[in-house]
Amino acid sequence: MEKPVPVEINHVRAEGKIRITWDDGHVGVYPQEYLRGYCPCALCQGHDAALGKKFISVPDAKLREIRTVGNYAVEFLWHDGHSTGIYNYEYLRYLCPCSQCKQVGNES
Amino acid sequence: MAAATTEAVMEALRGVQDPEIHRDIVSLGMVKNLAVEDGKVSFTVELTTPACPLKDKIEGDCKSALAGVEGVKDLEISFGAQVRGSKVGAGQTDLLPTVKNLVLVASGKGGVGKSTVAANLAVALKMHGATTGLLDADIYGPSIPILMGVREEPRKVAVNGGYKLGPPIAHGLPVMSIGFFLEPEQAVIWRGPMLGKALNQLMGDVHWGELDYLIVDMPPGTGDIQITFSQQLKVSGAVLVATPQQVALADVIRAKSMFDKVMIPIVGLIENMSYFICDGCGKSHEIFSRGGAVRAAERFKIPFLGEIPIVSSIREWGDKGVPILVREPESEVSKIFLEIAAKLAGQLSVAAETAKSGQSLKIVSS
Repeated sequence: MEKPVPVEINHVRAEGKIRITWDDGHVGVYPQEYLRGYCPCALCQGHDAALGKKFISVPDAKLREIRTVGNYAVEFLWHDGHSTGIYNYEYLRYLCPCSQCKQVGNES
Repeated sequence: MAAATTEAVMEALRGVQDPEIHRDIVSLGMVKNLAVEDGKVSFTVELTTPACPLKDKIEGDCKSALAGVEGVKDLEISFGAQVRGSKVGAGQTDLLPTVKNLVLVASGKGGVGKSTVAANLAVALKMHGATTGLLDADIYGPSIPILMGVREEPRKVAVNGGYKLGPPIAHGLPVMSIGFFLEPEQAVIWRGPMLGKALNQLMGDVHWGELDYLIVDMPPGTGDIQITFSQQLKVSGAVLVATPQQVALADVIRAKSMFDKVMIPIVGLIENMSYFICDGCGKSHEIFSRGGAVRAAERFKIPFLGEIPIVSSIREWGDKGVPILVREPESEVSKIFLEIAAKLAGQLSVAAETAKSGQSLKIVSS
């Protein structure tokens, strides 16, 4: 398992951000609207789109809770009850919005 | 001559490595009850599993390491075992908190003898001295009740003010099966969500007690049950069972790719129905060819745990509810099962160390 895995996920409530520290030392700070926007569930992304291409704007998205899923992913519980997205570690890393990674296009 | 000191002995033991985990036994915390008195040295090596395949090697290494220590006149090494948990993942809720190692016995396809292997592996681990349970998660064709000869029903037991299900005990092992809750001769035609719910209940509501190993007989393939396990439980590792021919191996590859995706380590590959020794001529017949699994294991860097021959008594006694290991513990095939179980336990100890040093995801809120 050489793929990076998160060692800490910090929900910085006051700033509405999620800070993820990875086992390779990388740290990424994800605004909550950004994470919500790239929710990987079929409801948000549809069944045929490639992951991480479609941004669903939920401007007032508020993260309530973070839960782990097995050995490989986390799920986020949003204030509006939405919780169907399973973000696996690979996808989470792919989404990292820091200037180093920025593989995902700007949110629009 | 100077008298031996505790420090000198510890220092020398730092040179002894656990042959599987590849770290020294002192830093792994395996040396216990060290006493040094008048040149008499005694200690206990706490193995990471009672089924440790390399006990003799560790003993020999300790002896030669201490041979160089000045003042050691007498040496007494005893062995104990404390199974380490290797469940990875960091969910806040662990449905099976009293289970140290949750092991899935899986295959890409049906008919490879997974249930028979699972039942005998569980018995073998118990015979090695580990507390072991067996869970039949094969919703579509639960065969563990037959293979283990379970006649009782699960009973209600009071736990912490509530009630849980007490698994029936068969051949000394607590056994649970989805089959206990189904009408006999009724097919299960549930969709995913129903399956998930049934499994969750089977997990959370069963009073397993403290277990070193819980062996799970999985349904074949890469479907709903596998997904439920990978998402809702902390799995230590998966063992893949395959038959030697090429098509079966293609399914191993599929199963591996699934477990990789959900980051469940594959702790071993077992080749079942490897060969048949004719009771008439004594010749070994390789009915489905042989050795394919070894090659696949090499290619995918999966530890190869062993080859199980086709022996009619395995099936015969299985049908009567007696695992071959219980019926004929001295037979050749029983020895093979015991050896495979020991290797598996070793791999799980390695997985436990990797899991500990590797991922321990903390979820915090600030």
